[in-house]
Amino acid sequence: MIIPELRQLWAALRKLLPGRSAPPVSPRVVFERFQKVLASNNQALEIIADLGEKLGGDYLFDMRYVESSTEQLIAAVQDSVTAVNALCADRHAGLQKVHDRLSEDLRLTLAGREDREGPLIFTLDEIRPRNWALVGGKAAHLAEMRHDPQLRVPDGFVITARAYNDLIDHNDLRQQLTAFEELMAAHEPDLAALDELRQQMERAVQAAAPPPGLLDALTAAVRHLPKEDKPLFLAVRSSAQEEDMDFSFAGQFTSVLNVPAQPAALFAAAREVMASLFCAGAVAYRRRVFPDEGKMAIAVVCQQMIDSRTSGIVFSVDTMQLAHDTMVVVAAWGQGEAVVEGGTPTDTFQLRKGPPISIVARQVADKEQGLFAAADSGLTARAIAEELRSQPCLSDEELLLLGTQALHLESLFKRPQDVEWAIDNAGQLFILQTRPLVLNAPAREQTLPVRLEEHELICAGQGKVAKQGIAAGPVHIVNLADETGDFPEGSVLITRRDSSRLISFIQRASAVITETGTPVSHMATICREFQVPCIVNVGSILGKVTEGELITVDAEDRRIYRGKIEELLVYHASSNVNIMVSREFRLLRRILKTASELHLVDPMMQNFNIEGCRTYHDILRFAHESAVQEMVNLGRDERRLIKGSIVRPMKLPIPTGILVIDIGGGLAPDAPERDVPYQAIASVPFRAVLQGMLFPEIWHNNPMPVGIRDLMNSMFSPVREEAAEQYSGHNIAIIGGNYVNLCFRLGYHYNIIDAHCGEAEQNNHLYYRFLGGVTDMTKRSRRAAMIAIILKEFEFNVQTKGDLVTARLSRLPQREALYALDILGRLVGYTRQLDVCMESDADAEKYAEAFLNGDYTFTDRV
Amino acid sequence: MDTDRSAQLEAPPQLLIIDDEPIIGKRLQHAFGKVGLNALIFTSPQAAMEAMNKESFNVVITDFRMKGMDGLEVFRQVKQLNQKTKVIIISGSASPETVDTAFQEGVFDFLVKPFRLDELKSSVSRAMEEIKGEDGGGIPAC
Repeated sequence: MIIPELRQLWAALRKLLPGRSAPPVSPRVVFERFQKVLASNNQALEIIADLGEKLGGDYLFDMRYVESSTEQLIAAVQDSVTAVNALCADRHAGLQKVHDRLSEDLRLTLAGREDREGPLIFTLDEIRPRNWALVGGKAAHLAEMRHDPQLRVPDGFVITARAYNDLIDHNDLRQQLTAFEELMAAHEPDLAALDELRQQMERAVQAAAPPPGLLDALTAAVRHLPKEDKPLFLAVRSSAQEEDMDFSFAGQFTSVLNVPAQPAALFAAAREVMASLFCAGAVAYRRRVFPDEGKMAIAVVCQQMIDSRTSGIVFSVDTMQLAHDTMVVVAAWGQGEAVVEGGTPTDTFQLRKGPPISIVARQVADKEQGLFAAADSGLTARAIAEELRSQPCLSDEELLLLGTQALHLESLFKRPQDVEWAIDNAGQLFILQTRPLVLNAPAREQTLPVRLEEHELICAGQGKVAKQGIAAGPVHIVNLADETGDFPEGSVLITRRDSSRLISFIQRASAVITETGTPVSHMATICREFQVPCIVNVGSILGKVTEGELITVDAEDRRIYRGKIEELLVYHASSNVNIMVSREFRLLRRILKTASELHLVDPMMQNFNIEGCRTYHDILRFAHESAVQEMVNLGRDERRLIKGSIVRPMKLPIPTGILVIDIGGGLAPDAPERDVPYQAIASVPFRAVLQGMLFPEIWHNNPMPVGIRDLMNSMFSPVREEAAEQYSGHNIAIIGGNYVNLCFRLGYHYNIIDAHCGEAEQNNHLYYRFLGGVTDMTKRSRRAAMIAIILKEFEFNVQTKGDLVTARLSRLPQREALYALDILGRLVGYTRQLDVCMESDADAEKYAEAFLNGDYTFTDRV
Repeated sequence: MDTDRSAQLEAPPQLLIIDDEPIIGKRLQHAFGKVGLNALIFTSPQAAMEAMNKESFNVVITDFRMKGMDGLEVFRQVKQLNQKTKVIIISGSASPETVDTAFQEGVFDFLVKPFRLDELKSSVSRAMEEIKGEDGGGIPAC
């Protein structure tokens, strides 16, 4: 810890010392440092990808693998942080702190102690996926639903697993708990001793004193809840670490309803809930679903009590009819406890999933009484008014809304759901909780292969599994250049190549298939995070399916069937083998939450800074972008470049006046000192750019029809200061074997191309910037729009601001990168005087279309 | 202890799987069941040996590191019971010497984690093919 801080201090002091500014570093050294960043980033990303791939379900691995890979990852990210600071003169020293914090989190996770640190209380809206171990599965789901604009979830907060651990320590229960956990983890434990310890723990927690700070934290949390004109009551429920994630734990833990919003009453209720971790039913359940595993902590969710008119449950799949096409709603007047605990007559409705959703059956009971919130606390049974008893307690509109929301939840959590809901007196629907619906297995597995033979296969054994699973849905083909369109929820997303830009679609997809790509791409990671079955690299799939046709994707055995294969879907929904529950998988998933999620998706976003780095992946993304920017800036710093470098003028058949600086492998060994020809360029990406610039007909020589206003503009609007400083002087290309940085000015047009392009796909990036023009801002902006249209077609991530265009593309195969560079080269030539032609907005599209059609002489003919 | 009898299927089992992590056995049973191969799963090697005393299996998949008996010992005992049964060992870590010894003694395959399920599936299918070639198929006699 001390050494990095000393390093930072020295860096700060060094800047203050008079006359001690560091001498400029030669471009070759800068490039070496840049490559060091790439190398360490790659090593770290490979480890993350490797870990992520294991999470897809296609591998068998063990704890030793998780532990050793995590330590290697911590070291690799440290190398990246060190390398980017060496490149950028310690300007990103703050990254070290982020790295230190995340590494500590990871080591706590490996040691199984990640639920011992952090706040005592989180509001539901503060919870992020990485807090999952602290808040438990149910709260994590509630938080996710609170962020979903389609759902309404009561406000509230969570007493975290850290508070539970504090309570254990504060009441001297740690030794006893450890003994209990050891017995739970034993292969064949002494059951009588286990039961004795269980009871001791249950009693001890029921009588425990509040840990320091908890009552104050509760006071503050209650204060933050929305004020109402009547006393506030809360529902206090369990949120154990695995609860509602893969296992429902339905009914195993205690809930205390209608608790006055006062710290002492809330603590007493929370303590009851915590003690239920040790009740006989929950312990038996844990031994059954997590055999040989002792540790589990519990958090407690406190949510505003809904004064329910009607409440109940909805099963997104009717467990009695496994054909997957019906849902069932059970409802009662008043509070839902009457429904989930049984005992009172309820209405039952059956809905067909559709689309559109329809009501197919109603069983309306005579409901003499219901449970309602009591005035002081708890629930009380009350008689239902005579005229309401035999009335359905839900209207058709309410039923259809419930059905829609249940389907949405099923799509969100990728499994059939058991949803608890309530409708208040104002008719507002609230989702109280949702958990996986575990179905019984009716299918005889040995007959499945035989029955599957009857169905038409679209392809089998092709591609690689990025995320295991089985799903069906209508085909929706997505063109990457147009990712702004709507994506119908539940469709199978099919696209040419994998791209993390599909993130908003993936969330809504039932499965994903790509023609090219790898299981270690960002998109594959996103599929795993969202639990969306995914097969990548399925060659020519686009030619075998049609938009809208129903298909079934078996991303376990890499088979894609035409139509909806009920047998497979039923087999999948009834499977009780969830590999995600093994200890290795759960640990790996927690590690990957700290390592692999990416928040700094777009360098153009406001949060693209050190403060925005929340995971290792963010650090690596930030380091990579900072390193690229450093290289872009190096290209602009002409004085620094020419001083001490061997600068060689090029000789090309077009008037470009380019000077090249070779930083290693960019020129052929026998390249002349002057008049370097195209043939002497060894830099792979620079050759591609030149090839584009030299493409026949690109360098059209007809003068453009410059109007008098354009001329006035060019005469009277000085080149912008910023641009002048950056672009004055020569056209310079810094080149290496796999690298080019070209700053290129043609009259008033300024281009920057920065690209790394080698065989390692993950190293490749393309950066393009265009600015300027001779005409007024309107015309220049139109040309910027035209460039954006063209680049989007080639799958660049593009941003325009006035006449400035910035475009990026990264992690693409060398062949595609070289093609994109060739296109950039052509674009540089094609656009150089086009702003004068941009008389109307339609011209932007017209000229873009001509370019895309390969009609480069269009400009001459107009 | 300990087989999960409730998960047994009607057709005679062709595979026997031993792994002290219950989820591994369940997962493999699931994966092989889907392609029509029935598997019996055990978390204890001793219980597995008892079952093998009673009936024969085409292929035994066993973890290497287990309490009481390692994968090589399982292999040796299986071979004493039935020469034709193929044994595949899966392991979280193994020295090259261990792997060499295993192959020299006649273990059919040795897979080191992490590995793809497909690799194990193809190993099992090669073992099945080999058995078929040896005696025209069927479950080897005791």
